[in-house]
Amino acid sequence: MTTLRPEAIAAIAATMGSGVSRRRVLQAAGLGGAAMLAAACGTGGDASGDATGPASASSAPDQSDTDKVVNWSNWPLYIDINDETGERPTLEAFQKDTGIAVTYTEDVNDNNEFYAKVRTQLEQGQDIGRDIVVLTDWMAALWIQNGFAQKLDKAAMPNSGNIIPRLASVSFDPNREFTLPWQSGIGGLGYNKATLKEALAVDKMTTLDQLFDPALKGRITVLSEMRDTMGCIMAWQGNDPANFTDDQFNEGIAALTEQVDSGQIRQVTGNDYIAALESGDVIAVIGWSGDIFALGDDFGFEIPESGGTLWTDNMLVPALAAHKKNAEMVMNYYYDPEVAAQVAAYVNYICPVEGAQAAMEKIDPALASNELIFPTAATLDRTKVFMELTPEQNEKYERAFQSAIGN
Amino acid sequence: MADSAHPVEDLHLRNLTKRFGDHAAVDDLTLTIPAGSFFALLGASGCGKTTTLRMVAGLEDPTEGSIHIGDRDITSLRAFERPVNTVFQSYALFPHLDIFENVAFGLRRRGIKDVKPQVEQMLELVELSALARRKPTQLSGGQQQRVAVARALINRPDVLLLDEPLGALDLKLRRQMQIELKRIQTEVGTTFVHVTHDQEEAMTMADTVAVMNAGRIEQMGHPADIYELPRTVFVANFLGQSNLIQGSADGRSGDDVLISAFGETFRVPASRTFATGSSAVVGVRPEKMTILDLVDADKVPSDHNHLQGRVTDVSYTGVSTQYLVMTPWEQELIVFEQNMIVGDRCEVGDEVVVHWSPQHTFGLDGTAGTTVGVDPEVLDLEAASQALISDVSGS
Amino acid sequence: MVAVVPGTTGKASPPAVTQRRSRTGYLLLFPGLAWLGVFFAIPFVTLFFTSLQQDVPGKSGKYTAGLQFSNYSEALAEYWPQFLRSFIYAGIATLLALMIAYPLAYFIAFRAGRWRSLMLVLVIAPSFASFLLRTYAWRTILSDEGPITSTLDALHLLPDGRVLNTGIAVVAGLTYNFLPFMILPLYAALEKIDPRLIEAASDLYASPQTAFRKVTWPLSMPGVVAGTLLTFIPAAGDYINAELLGSTKDRMIGNVIQTNFIEFRDYPTASALSFVLMAAILVLVFTYIRRAGTEDLV
Repeated sequence: MTTLRPEAIAAIAATMGSGVSRRRVLQAAGLGGAAMLAAACGTGGDASGDATGPASASSAPDQSDTDKVVNWSNWPLYIDINDETGERPTLEAFQKDTGIAVTYTEDVNDNNEFYAKVRTQLEQGQDIGRDIVVLTDWMAALWIQNGFAQKLDKAAMPNSGNIIPRLASVSFDPNREFTLPWQSGIGGLGYNKATLKEALAVDKMTTLDQLFDPALKGRITVLSEMRDTMGCIMAWQGNDPANFTDDQFNEGIAALTEQVDSGQIRQVTGNDYIAALESGDVIAVIGWSGDIFALGDDFGFEIPESGGTLWTDNMLVPALAAHKKNAEMVMNYYYDPEVAAQVAAYVNYICPVEGAQAAMEKIDPALASNELIFPTAATLDRTKVFMELTPEQNEKYERAFQSAIGN
Repeated sequence: MADSAHPVEDLHLRNLTKRFGDHAAVDDLTLTIPAGSFFALLGASGCGKTTTLRMVAGLEDPTEGSIHIGDRDITSLRAFERPVNTVFQSYALFPHLDIFENVAFGLRRRGIKDVKPQVEQMLELVELSALARRKPTQLSGGQQQRVAVARALINRPDVLLLDEPLGALDLKLRRQMQIELKRIQTEVGTTFVHVTHDQEEAMTMADTVAVMNAGRIEQMGHPADIYELPRTVFVANFLGQSNLIQGSADGRSGDDVLISAFGETFRVPASRTFATGSSAVVGVRPEKMTILDLVDADKVPSDHNHLQGRVTDVSYTGVSTQYLVMTPWEQELIVFEQNMIVGDRCEVGDEVVVHWSPQHTFGLDGTAGTTVGVDPEVLDLEAASQALISDVSGS
Repeated sequence: MVAVVPGTTGKASPPAVTQRRSRTGYLLLFPGLAWLGVFFAIPFVTLFFTSLQQDVPGKSGKYTAGLQFSNYSEALAEYWPQFLRSFIYAGIATLLALMIAYPLAYFIAFRAGRWRSLMLVLVIAPSFASFLLRTYAWRTILSDEGPITSTLDALHLLPDGRVLNTGIAVVAGLTYNFLPFMILPLYAALEKIDPRLIEAASDLYASPQTAFRKVTWPLSMPGVVAGTLLTFIPAAGDYINAELLGSTKDRMIGNVIQTNFIEFRDYPTASALSFVLMAAILVLVFTYIRRAGTEDLV
């Protein structure tokens, strides 16, 4: 993860004219924020849920009918934007159709950081002032477990049936009772076509063996997101990221440590790798599909032959949210294939809505046939969703991973 | 206390010139300052006296000319290489060092290991032994001044330069320090070059005074000689007070030059006349004049210069009485009368006759008028009071 | 004694005046004390107690109030390399900043004449841009293909063949980012020095070098102390430079604190680390001030 504040990176991205990556451009966690949180969390950090299964989330009296408002927290640059007017076309259309005012805030920069920000309120049973938040699988799982997510009223969301089969059931929410996917992405190999050819005399990078080729020493980076980096490495070692033992994980850590110590891996980054790829300092990376795609034709993305990772960011309604019904209307709206296609055309990540591919034909046929936005089943079979971890496992693995990358 | 290795020698400035742009701060100055003398360089601010001093110290490079001590040419030596030390106007004591270390500074720079005896001796000389471990800011102005002297003197310089060293002190302390400095100079025998704008200070302390004006020396000599016989209007005005009457030299009578002014004729011994052309100024110091009631006019010695006037002001100062006497040509003269006369003094409005000996008269070149060298503030004050008087009388 | 003497009536009023005056004094103090209390003392105490919280056995990420001092020893045992690195990097950066800033501040204070204000503005001008943006700019400056790296590499001065993502880049970034904090106090101290003191020194047989050593340098000491502290303290706790310009081998204590706080949600360890950093800096600062002897300086 990076430590950058979102505004800062947005400014940097703007000044440097980098191909604006969509989702994870801005992960931030300022230490300043951390210090304030230290004061805020006080000694009360012991109250988070200990239920093993989903806890029942408290709901508040729904004010949706009287108060036509929805407060939505999402990741930066993760929705369609008209680059000229700065407006968000699908969101504008929704507001016009329904008369519901959407307060759309790009304040989720990092799962952990966002959680740290609202945790105290959630634990004390207070409304966090948001009706929709978008969280990655494992964080969404944590919320469901702790009873911080409300059960969705599927009857009010007819479009929810449009979810692609691959995502319709996940271990942490088998029937999608609490969550609906917003976008998905693949963790795999990104590279600069020209410099890769110079260094290894190949057109594509398809394996981690190539990534760890000594000819690329000091010219590669991996992600600071444990699940993507370790997922790719474990798959490369022939283990299953979706189902592994401690020993297998440690084997992966050993491989990572070796590459870090030898200087093969130049840096372990959040989104910074995009700028490094663009500047030419870095030739190849373990990165995210949407980011690399947005960089343009000079860069390539491949799912490693040994397998990549698949992750999903999920919409959910936090406990005690005051406008659940309105929130569900928003979710339903974005599961309309036409709308979903418009979003996908802009953000370039995997679209979770069935029928959006057909709708995309009308917008941009090239995108409709793009495997990274509308992957075939065969493509998706080459990716794995990282094993669901208990909080204890999560901490153990995170510590091992952070220790390997210098923390 | 002069170094036995080489005896104190004369300081020679030859054709010394310093120009800042077009302006010559010091203009072709040639001067010898005798070894062991207490020499005062006297002048108004901006006359070039400080620039001269800084050139001797090595803090300013001369544009032209040379500086010698005895036969040694020190013109091209840098400040820290010169056998010259300075007492700065602001003292410039090192605030981070105590008094002892301030005084020891020069010795240490010259690699002298055991500075203690010398420093202690010097502190004793300036009577500051008790304060050796104080910091400069903990000292009074007078004490700081003495430290500055000690810090410079301990190096036994060939020449000690003092740049307005008493300027920051109040009047009483200044008097005291004048005597103190004089005592120290007599004890150590080093050549002191003292720059000041205070003519009284210069006269009290120095055995030779040079009056500087516009980058040049107007007159130099023993203070009494300069006072008794100023050679220029500037010196006459700047050093003490003078009554100067604009006139013209039109003849001689024996050894005397005759200068006529406003219908009167004044006799000035030829040896006391420095007027080169016909335009001349008659001058006399106020205390050399005697004032008499007009009825006693016959008591004026026949060979004395004299003129008539009316008393416009009387100030009794104890030692003397100061009169202002208006001449028929509306010039106000100043007369100091010692209070030796028993009985009536003149009063405001009295018609009087003022007289003085030709031996106390001096004749100066008159081409530049009579006010050169008068403190401009005094001139302003006079003009203002004139305006006020005419205002009041006019309404 | 009830006799009304002029003095007695007068005697009653002075205490009232003093009382009012002293109350005004406290009132003046109040905003500062309140600020310190709310934004320093309370977080400080909270941080301290957090640093002593106990793990709940079998429950990751859960902590209860306690006096678990082993948080400190464990944090130190695990993270001493990052601590050491932080102090080394910050120390080198401070030294470099001093070497760059002193001549510059000296020039501005004594030689810049009418350009003085302009130069001071130029010194702080980079601070008008965001700290992050400036650090990001260094990635471009130090880029592998950039002129600096190419030149140094051609001279075989770079063991890794690059500057970016090495300790050199981190130290360079720290030096650059905190340079104004070094220049300004140095300038303020130098500017206060009466140039006549330098003249006095040279009049007293000090060569220009000696005059600098014996007069200018000691008199600028308050600026040197202030500047080095203002540079060292934030540099030791900085994490942005290591994050953006360093590699995994250049992580500093700030990065570790952040990771513990955000990633692990291990508040006790993060708090303990913050406390140790604070204490270490305090000890260093006091030793340093004692040795630099600033209290003697005017």
